[in-house]
Amino acid sequence: MLDVILPVLVLGALVLALVGGVRRIRLWRQGRPSPVALVPGLAAMPRRYLVDLHDVVARDREFARTHVATGGGFVAAAVLLILVHGFQVESRLLAWALIAASIVMFAGALRVAARRRNPPARLSRGPWMRLPKSLIAFSSGVFLVTLPTAGIVPAGFGGWLIAALLAAVVAWGLAEMFFGMGWGGPMKHAFAGALHLAFHRRPERFGGGRSTGLVPLDLDDNAATLGVGKPDDFTWNQLLGFDACVQCGRCEAMCPAFAAGQPLNPKKLIQDMVVGMAGGTDAAYAGSPYPGRPVGEHGGSAHSPIVLREGRALVDADTLWSCTTCRACVEECPMMIEHVDAILDMRRYLTMEHGNTPNKGKEVLENLAATDNPGGFDPASRMNWAADLDLPLISARGAAEVLLWMGDGAFDLRNQRTLRALVKVLRAAGVDFAVLGNEELDSGDVARRLGDEAGFQALAVRNAATFARYRFGEILTCDPHSFHVLKNEYPAFGARYEVSHHSSYIARLIELGRLPLSDWAGGRVTYHDPCYLGRYNGEYEAPRSALKGIGIQVVEMGRSGFRSRCCGGGGGAPITDIPGKRRIPDMRMDEINETAAEIVAVGCPQCTAMLEGVVGPRPEVLDIAELVAAQLVAAPVSVPRQTREVAA
Amino acid sequence: MAQFDALFQPIKIGKLTIRNRVCSTAHAEVYATDGGMTTERYIKYYEEKAKGGIGLAICGGSSTVAIDSPQGWWKSVNLSTDAIIPHFQNLADAMHRHGAKIMIQITHMGRRSRWDGENWPHLVSPSGIREPVHRATCKTIEPEEIARIIGNYAQAARRAKAGGLDGVELSAVHQHLIDQFWSPRVNHRTDEWGGAFENRMRFGLEVLKAVRAEVGPDFVVGLRICGDEFHPDGLTHEDMKEIAKYYSDTGMLDFIGVVGSGCDTHNTLANVIPNMSYPPEPFLHLAAGIKEVVSVPVIHAQNIKDPNQAQRILEGGYVDLVGMTRAHIADPHFVNKVKLGRVDQIRQCVGANYCIDRQYQGLDVLCIQNAATSREHLGLPHVIEKSSGPKRKVVVVGGGPAGMEAARVAAERGHEVTLFEKSDALGGQISIAAMAPQRDQMAGITRWYQLELARLKIDLRLGVAADAATIMDLRPDIVVLALGARPFLDQNPHWGAADGLVVSTWDILQGKVAPGKNVLIYDTICEFSGMSAADFLAHKGAKVEIVTDDVKPGIAIGGTTFPTYYRSLYPKEVVMTGDLLLEKVYREGDKLVAVLENEYTGAKEERVVDQVVVENGTRPDETLYYALKPGSRNKGQVDIEELFAMRPQHSLHESGDGYLLFRIGDCVSQHNTHAAILDALRLCKDF
Repeated sequence: MLDVILPVLVLGALVLALVGGVRRIRLWRQGRPSPVALVPGLAAMPRRYLVDLHDVVARDREFARTHVATGGGFVAAAVLLILVHGFQVESRLLAWALIAASIVMFAGALRVAARRRNPPARLSRGPWMRLPKSLIAFSSGVFLVTLPTAGIVPAGFGGWLIAALLAAVVAWGLAEMFFGMGWGGPMKHAFAGALHLAFHRRPERFGGGRSTGLVPLDLDDNAATLGVGKPDDFTWNQLLGFDACVQCGRCEAMCPAFAAGQPLNPKKLIQDMVVGMAGGTDAAYAGSPYPGRPVGEHGGSAHSPIVLREGRALVDADTLWSCTTCRACVEECPMMIEHVDAILDMRRYLTMEHGNTPNKGKEVLENLAATDNPGGFDPASRMNWAADLDLPLISARGAAEVLLWMGDGAFDLRNQRTLRALVKVLRAAGVDFAVLGNEELDSGDVARRLGDEAGFQALAVRNAATFARYRFGEILTCDPHSFHVLKNEYPAFGARYEVSHHSSYIARLIELGRLPLSDWAGGRVTYHDPCYLGRYNGEYEAPRSALKGIGIQVVEMGRSGFRSRCCGGGGGAPITDIPGKRRIPDMRMDEINETAAEIVAVGCPQCTAMLEGVVGPRPEVLDIAELVAAQLVAAPVSVPRQTREVAA
Repeated sequence: MAQFDALFQPIKIGKLTIRNRVCSTAHAEVYATDGGMTTERYIKYYEEKAKGGIGLAICGGSSTVAIDSPQGWWKSVNLSTDAIIPHFQNLADAMHRHGAKIMIQITHMGRRSRWDGENWPHLVSPSGIREPVHRATCKTIEPEEIARIIGNYAQAARRAKAGGLDGVELSAVHQHLIDQFWSPRVNHRTDEWGGAFENRMRFGLEVLKAVRAEVGPDFVVGLRICGDEFHPDGLTHEDMKEIAKYYSDTGMLDFIGVVGSGCDTHNTLANVIPNMSYPPEPFLHLAAGIKEVVSVPVIHAQNIKDPNQAQRILEGGYVDLVGMTRAHIADPHFVNKVKLGRVDQIRQCVGANYCIDRQYQGLDVLCIQNAATSREHLGLPHVIEKSSGPKRKVVVVGGGPAGMEAARVAAERGHEVTLFEKSDALGGQISIAAMAPQRDQMAGITRWYQLELARLKIDLRLGVAADAATIMDLRPDIVVLALGARPFLDQNPHWGAADGLVVSTWDILQGKVAPGKNVLIYDTICEFSGMSAADFLAHKGAKVEIVTDDVKPGIAIGGTTFPTYYRSLYPKEVVMTGDLLLEKVYREGDKLVAVLENEYTGAKEERVVDQVVVENGTRPDETLYYALKPGSRNKGQVDIEELFAMRPQHSLHESGDGYLLFRIGDCVSQHNTHAAILDALRLCKDF
């Protein structure tokens, strides 16, 4: 009897899965076109899955093994199931292989079930709670129905009742695994995930690469909406990416805004985009909500606004403005989904189409328009901090080895100390450097993160034109935000230069022995990784090596390196200032305090400002440049070398 | 905009860029010695301000350009010889090393000096009219001398430039020779140097021309003027605007400094360096008036002490640079503390004018609350480094100036500090001094210590009169006694202190004794306490006579502060009588009879009053010292050779059981606030 039922079940499920898949693809295709390399993408997919994705999954070793067993077992079992039971290919070998695959999958499914017994808060419930049971049903059902095929038990064993029961179990398994894959069940992730990897909008990320710069918006296209106002304003492969989400909540666990109780949960945001794409409400969402926002009150469709000026739509504006763009979610996402890109796309719409940048956002953008700096300072006062330093202007010299990019920290009393320390270090090393002086404009980072793409591009074009007038070997800056923008986002505007963050530059100077340094005699030091240096640019070693160069053994925090927690200062978050239960820098300072450090070394003006804003008791916040400058000893007076006579 | 951004806008004076808007204006430091050459002490005093972030310092108040303008009285800088040039180079290097600029004030003081010393010159003045403050006479200047002195100015400016300084400020303020020519009050000449406006301006203009010709267009030359002489027949504000515009219009000036008030009388002199009885920036309007008519930057000092105040003045555009001269004497790291957001850590000038009042007595300029100022060359630090030696338990007893400074310094050194104060507040005698009218700002000294001691988290025990047992319970390594003193009313038993016939100024100021209606104050000290008690009582409505056996009550108070007491006392009809000794006091009915004896005639007179207040200084409180002395390792002795040389006490390096015992301030013998703080700093900096 199974001989009859199974092919019907398997092939029927396969057809339904294909229909569902086509339906799903049509949902994605609501998005804007985005050219991708179809065949090479598909060809690269297995490697992207097995290497790049698994590198991320493998951060949780236990679950990686579970997923290899379950996922690997399933893929093998599914293929074999179609052959053995769908098309009734007569082969003992295949049947035995199917049994083996189902055992492996069963073992994995048990581990999945174990994890689901007391799941961490980050995991979504709902259908995901059913999944381990479905996995067990599928694997055990397939195992049992294949026993006769493999000749382990006689055909017809157990009679029709058993056969009917088994068919039901297999049907359950097939429904979840095949039908559910195409029709939006938890297994959707395998289908969408595979295609998402094939057609990822940042293919540079695979194979160990890094791609973090925002893609410029085409401002000349008068027909296109600026940014994303409705789900169908996303590109089709962005929509596909949202669909790949497994709701594992690793992003949620890393998100500083979520931890601070601000109304943002990256996982929920991605799920809301899925809801929007398919149409409906978020009532079925079974994970942690946006803090302080009950589930079930938001909904929309692919063609309706994501954010309403008044009232609720798919998400609230302050969800989007809570993000610090720290990329912790992106870094942690096993499906390599680009949450920050999506948020920035939606911010662009809010700022440029709605003119609705909250709190101080509008003022900052107006300042930038009027004065080319976010603080609204007199643009002729950018060099005030160095009035007594007699810094060489590149306009007076035409060329320099190093162009020191001051950044808008030049207007800030605190960061001026860092800049002065950096100048001291450069001078001690005899570096040939110059500054743009008042010709320097804001890099555009804040404008861009606040969604003002037009403002950003105007600044980038003008700065690029300034660069083009001079000759220099590299650009040096103590601001990771400038560093990122100049290095990764300016090339699109024709400004391609070597750009260094001061921590790596100083580390180099120390390595070359160009700095006369005394040994560190201070207390315990921990180091806080700036997001735009670390996750955005992969620079975790240089700052530590600079600190080591002055004799500091860094006491690491629990969250450091690629898992460092944001200070709360990125993405214009201090400007849009969305309230939560705690302040992000306070949480970060708790982590710093846990190290019992007396000093927290930083390498970013934003981090410095945010961490220094934390009420004491807290360690002193010092930039790497300040720490190194303080260890400089007066260069020894050069005494003519004397030829030593060797005694005969 | 940042809170203090106006302070940190660089400014160009001539061709020179100053990094911020905060400067120290010219004042006599009184320690350019050895014929007016700047000393190591002088350079270190200024270098500390440069380190502390100041933009510009104008040094050498009244530095002389000519040998007939004596410098020896105030040990100002002598620019009449090329010998000064290498000294200037050291000074300029020290300032430029830290990014600050340095200029010097140059002048010929004319009649405003003393002739009885140094070269015993005949002082010169446009019309030979004597100046009251210096009790000096002068001759009428002749055209040949005018020509010579103009040349002297040019040569002095050349020396400043050759020495690497950034500029000179010509002094035409305080009735120096240039403004003696300006003033019809003292310039009665009928030749080309007097009479018409142009003629009175001529000397200054010729000086400016000669100086500019000598130093060229790129070297900064400024002019300091007053905003209004405040003399009935003196130059008014409108006159000064006309004068300022006249010189500014020559195009030869790079800046103008403005001081409110002339100062050739004791009363106007007090305006020039306004003490704590003045409101903030009392003469800013005069500087702002000058700024309206000139085209060069204007500098103004006078009671600008607070960064918020400075920001407000600069933001309002009243002047271009704020002179924060006394503010920097109290805290040379003022600017850096503002930059670091440590405004609460600024030791703010309280206007006690200890600095300037010493200067007018020919003594070196010191700060009442910062003992390190002017002693940088001796190694007294403005920033106390943490000790690398053993961490000690330090117990300080007494929360007056000596005790507060001892606790602060020991805590900065990293030691564990407990401070006992028997009353319920810090301050000691400072708190008493602050009770008098117009003297409340004395409490600012205590305010800073309160903030610092809280920041340093010392164990502060107020309201605890520590005895030997309490102290020993803490197992101290070092005990510092700073217990202060008590009023010395029992020196003469006939005063009847034991019978309550006389009370102390402390009793009056602290309100322990209600003010009488008809009060006699007998003051043998002639400093602040007697005058403050008189002012306090008169303010409460008492009829007061203050009597001293010295020359005049208040005679020992410096030149910028006795006038403000007099301004307060005379309108309240306080009688000030000198040369009378208080022989005895007795009771007659409900009245007290004070018997006074004239020091020079022996004649006796009596006053029938209802309250007699005696100010006779203090006696140290020694009980606790003698209780602790036998048990201490060093038997309570301070090695004064090491102390005076600012070196660590030997006893600190010797090991052994038990504690070291030191006593400082008035509990040794009566000194003053500055001395108490100095004792504490120089002793405790090496703990």
